[in-house]
Amino acid sequence: MTLKLATAAVAALMAAGPVMADLVFPSLSYRTGPYASGGIPFADGYADYFTLLNERDGGIGGVPARVVECETAYNTERGVECYESTKGEGALVYQPLSTGITYQLIPKATADDIPIHSMGYGRTSAANGQVFSHVFNYPANYWNGASGAINYLMGQGDFAGK
Amino acid sequence: MFYREAGDFKTSYVDDSQTFPIKFERYRYYFVLAVAVLVLPFVMTDYAVNSIFLPFLIYAIAAIGLNILTGYCGQVSLGTGGFMAVGAYACYKLMTAFPDVNIFIHVLLAGGITAMVGTAFGLPSLRIKGFYLAVATLAAQFFLVWLFNKVSWFYNYSASGQINAPERMVFGVPVTGANTEAWATYLFCLAFTVLCAIIARNLTRGSVGREWMAIRDMDIAAEIIGVNPLKAKLTAFAVSSFFVGISGALFFAVYLGAVEVGEVFGIQKSFIVLFMIIIGGLGSIFGSFAGAAFLVVLPVALKIVGVDMLGWPTDIVAHFQLVIVGALIIIFLIAEPHGLAQLWRVTKEKLRLWPFPH
Repeated sequence: MTLKLATAAVAALMAAGPVMADLVFPSLSYRTGPYASGGIPFADGYADYFTLLNERDGGIGGVPARVVECETAYNTERGVECYESTKGEGALVYQPLSTGITYQLIPKATADDIPIHSMGYGRTSAANGQVFSHVFNYPANYWNGASGAINYLMGQGDFAGK
Repeated sequence: MFYREAGDFKTSYVDDSQTFPIKFERYRYYFVLAVAVLVLPFVMTDYAVNSIFLPFLIYAIAAIGLNILTGYCGQVSLGTGGFMAVGAYACYKLMTAFPDVNIFIHVLLAGGITAMVGTAFGLPSLRIKGFYLAVATLAAQFFLVWLFNKVSWFYNYSASGQINAPERMVFGVPVTGANTEAWATYLFCLAFTVLCAIIARNLTRGSVGREWMAIRDMDIAAEIIGVNPLKAKLTAFAVSSFFVGISGALFFAVYLGAVEVGEVFGIQKSFIVLFMIIIGGLGSIFGSFAGAAFLVVLPVALKIVGVDMLGWPTDIVAHFQLVIVGALIIIFLIAEPHGLAQLWRVTKEKLRLWPFPH
């Protein structure tokens, strides 16, 4: 269900792409604050990937991507401020990068019709696409990721007594 | 020239003891109120409301609350974040338990519940003073945050431990939940802020406020002239916590909509509200507003100038934000230890004589 919705969203995005000037990807980064050591490489990587797409492929489907960065410092209130300040630029998808900010953005983004990609973190129950139409925790949330790993290991051999 | 008493004749005691005795200032107050109520709602954007006006109005209520306790009654408190959490969780429990009751009443009741909790934590203030009381209220901060994490009844046994505000209406217009309009949440909070400021202003210049100030200035002397310290300190804790509870309820229900207690109502909140009243001015209602505006609007303004206008990298701007706000706090406290309110008072004295200062 989630995958199908995600595919549909990406397809819609591709179809809508050529009409717009550029594809806006807000980056709610945390280069400062207590978690900066993890936030800096992620924000750099996110920006670098879209630079790569722009320079190698000329953007996505021929449309250049633009990363709008906003500093949250992993702080919920500043995350809300970032969301409000970037959504007007035609943001396509939000990666809140913090569970606290994700909880703030779920109702706001659903009302504004903008998808959220909370990669594993965020609200586990958002896996139910019937209720949370705009939230995707692809590829897996913590719990089905963990059970997937255990199930895989169980299939690898006999673990009796271990 | 404009700002003076001359020619403004008072013919009754009520006129004589009003909050703004000078005509020019009275009209300025009506003008600000009229702009806030009649003009701003029509020009509000989501961004302006959610990053400037809502935090400013809500922090102003919290600052008024703490100012009553610390600025007027002299009891230092570091438990503001914890008391805001009480307001938020009380509001959440009331909203979910009685969905048909108006949210306005829930917010007031949340303030009342916080007042009771605040009074209970204020009891030690009768025995301990100063830094030791600060540590006792710090205990309240940590205890309350722990309690709201530990006891799942407070968050209705939700798996994530977060509380989410359901949609509630005032006059058929949603003010909490996902589908709120900017102007509705703004007006809802503005109503509470104006109400709280008027109540606080009139409490502090009445007999209750004089008792608080007597206790602040010298508690033994106050006791000798007949001020009951038990009553004065506990009413200060109760009234202060009432306002702080209202601000916590609005912070959760209207501004954020979803709250995780340790993250939102941690010790950080207690300090930021304390900084607001120190920078704004202890023992002044205007100071509470000025301090809240200083700490809410300045970081956003710096970010807009740095990132949007100058195009600097976001992390550099974020670091500069800390440096500039920190430096300004130090400069203000050296140049004017009594805060922004004192600057305002000095300006008014100068205005009174302008343009003939001799």
